[in-house]
Amino acid sequence: MIPRLLYIPASIGLALLVVPLAGLLLRVNWAGLPTLLLSKEALEPLALSLATAFIATLLCLLFGVPLAVVIARSTPRVAGVLRALVTIPLVLPPLVGGIALLSLLGRTGVLGEYLELVGLRVPFTTTAVVIAQTFVAMPFLVIAVEGALRTAGTRFERVAATLGAHRATIFARITLPLVLPGLLAGTVLSFARALGEFGATALFAGNQAGVTRTMPLAIYTAFNGSGVTTDQAVALSLLLIAVAVIILVLVGTRRGSVLS
Amino acid sequence: MTPIFRKSAVNALLEADLQLTRGSFTLDLRMALAPGEVLALLGPNGSGKSTVLELLAGLATPASGTVTLDGAILTEPGRVRPPETRAIGLLGQEPLLFPHLSARNNIAFALRVGAARLNAVQARTQADRWLDRVGLTGLGRSLPGALSGGQQQRVALARALAAGPRVLLLDEPMAALDAETAPLMRQLIREQLATTGTSAIIVTHDIVDAVVLADRVAVLHDGVLIDEGTTAAVLAAPRNPFVAALAGVNLVVGTVHNGVILAPDGRTFAVRPADVAALGATAPAVSPGTQVSAAQVSAAKAFAGDVSAVPAASPRLPVAATSGDRPAAAVFRPASVVVQTEQPRHASPRNVWSARVTGIEPGSGGVRLRTSGDPEIIAELTPAAVADLGLQLGSTVWLSVKATEVSAYSR
Repeated sequence: MIPRLLYIPASIGLALLVVPLAGLLLRVNWAGLPTLLLSKEALEPLALSLATAFIATLLCLLFGVPLAVVIARSTPRVAGVLRALVTIPLVLPPLVGGIALLSLLGRTGVLGEYLELVGLRVPFTTTAVVIAQTFVAMPFLVIAVEGALRTAGTRFERVAATLGAHRATIFARITLPLVLPGLLAGTVLSFARALGEFGATALFAGNQAGVTRTMPLAIYTAFNGSGVTTDQAVALSLLLIAVAVIILVLVGTRRGSVLS
Repeated sequence: MTPIFRKSAVNALLEADLQLTRGSFTLDLRMALAPGEVLALLGPNGSGKSTVLELLAGLATPASGTVTLDGAILTEPGRVRPPETRAIGLLGQEPLLFPHLSARNNIAFALRVGAARLNAVQARTQADRWLDRVGLTGLGRSLPGALSGGQQQRVALARALAAGPRVLLLDEPMAALDAETAPLMRQLIREQLATTGTSAIIVTHDIVDAVVLADRVAVLHDGVLIDEGTTAAVLAAPRNPFVAALAGVNLVVGTVHNGVILAPDGRTFAVRPADVAALGATAPAVSPGTQVSAAQVSAAKAFAGDVSAVPAASPRLPVAATSGDRPAAAVFRPASVVVQTEQPRHASPRNVWSARVTGIEPGSGGVRLRTSGDPEIIAELTPAAVADLGLQLGSTVWLSVKATEVSAYSR
């Protein structure tokens, strides 16, 4: 039971999201595609992107899940503050995130200065890529898991405690399984976000082939670079879309509607 | 108001002295529970019943006070031992089965983390035994979502008891069940508490829960215990409107004798055929050597089939309780009691007796007529009927109530 008028803006909205991708497909040079995709310029960034996004997602889980638990079980006041802090990277332009990371970990940065003294240099390394990706992706995980924890409530945990279960047992055997759908959704979103990360990476990690040139940077390079056709950029975009779709489909079929 | 509390046991299992203020609500409570005892905590909504359970379970912190279990301090000022170390179980209105675990694994969880500390294999085997005990054999693999509300609550009871609590707190465990499932659940709780010898506190506002499950009743009002004693004693002399409303039913606590319920003064009450069958047919080991005689069963059957075979109750022919009689209670509404000034002629399926009018009071549904006897029986009439019958204090009346209006519960 929805007003029929709603279908008009809804269709426009859907078109806005889907039609550009269709346009992209139309621009694909199908004949040259295998060569383009199997080239070093495509495979190297793909491997780097998958590896860094994978590590970044693990870091998101490692730090983000505990953070989500703390927020979900804090008093409303504290939770509000923490949630706002977590959300900032989400609403921040990634470029600003990149500058922020540089000012902290850059050679002359607040912390980077000291790291430099002990011979550690973070910017413009693969580590920087992972840090940038974690920075932009973790809020997605925290918010998804925190929402799931809030929905699940503490009732089951309280029951488990009255049965004699200790906190660690409750967390592992009750809390985590209860928020599994949210956890999975958050993980997928984080991975996708890490995979597509561009702005913070570009500023903080640079664009060095084989070291920091992830897929988005490779696409940018191909699109802007001299001597390379836009065919390359389109092909790489297609590859990135394919990876994203595969992940969504894989997880989606396993767990009903993950993103609900 | 001064809280009323008499220490019921020299060696109390659980003792609590709790104070708490939440907004305008103040709780000030002293209570004790004897080993193996079942205490019903009665009280209207908002009287603080559930808060008391939370404080006992360690899920809430009192402003001041102590809780001790077998002499060990669970709660004292500035220190509340967490729920997982208190050995106090909780079964609420909702089963709250872990939705991702099967019925068997819900119980197995309690066996692993509770007092038993079984390993995974032992826990699974024992969990199946618990499922048998609560009548759910073969449903171990079902996820909670696939079970009915009543079945879920059975699993929850098994899970709560499987944890091996020293005291089980029951928070209106029948409230979310439908009218057909609730009595079965109540009976199961009674059986399992008796079998396991678990001490329990049951919060309820259903008088039947108190009658069937509890040895003792405490009445909580505005955060203070205002009455305490055996169910019959508390209800016989209501001290506040809530208890009076509870007492709004006629409650005859007596014994089963030849398929009818024998009151302390010798009156007998024939009850609903379905309940007679239940009283006679199920003979749980309430006390050793208690058995339903063949004569009782046949009387029950005869009654169930042919109501006229049951003699009308008469106070002039007192029937002595024998040692083999099992405790039971009859419950019926005052509105079900028919009042006449002459002895009814027609031998219809009724309990009929004569009594004196000892009180005429305004009631919720008209006029409440109190009549002599032990226990006193209350009849509810319209003001017009009272006038028509010319009833006064001291009048002799004939009271009757259809057996089909009388529910029976074994105790």
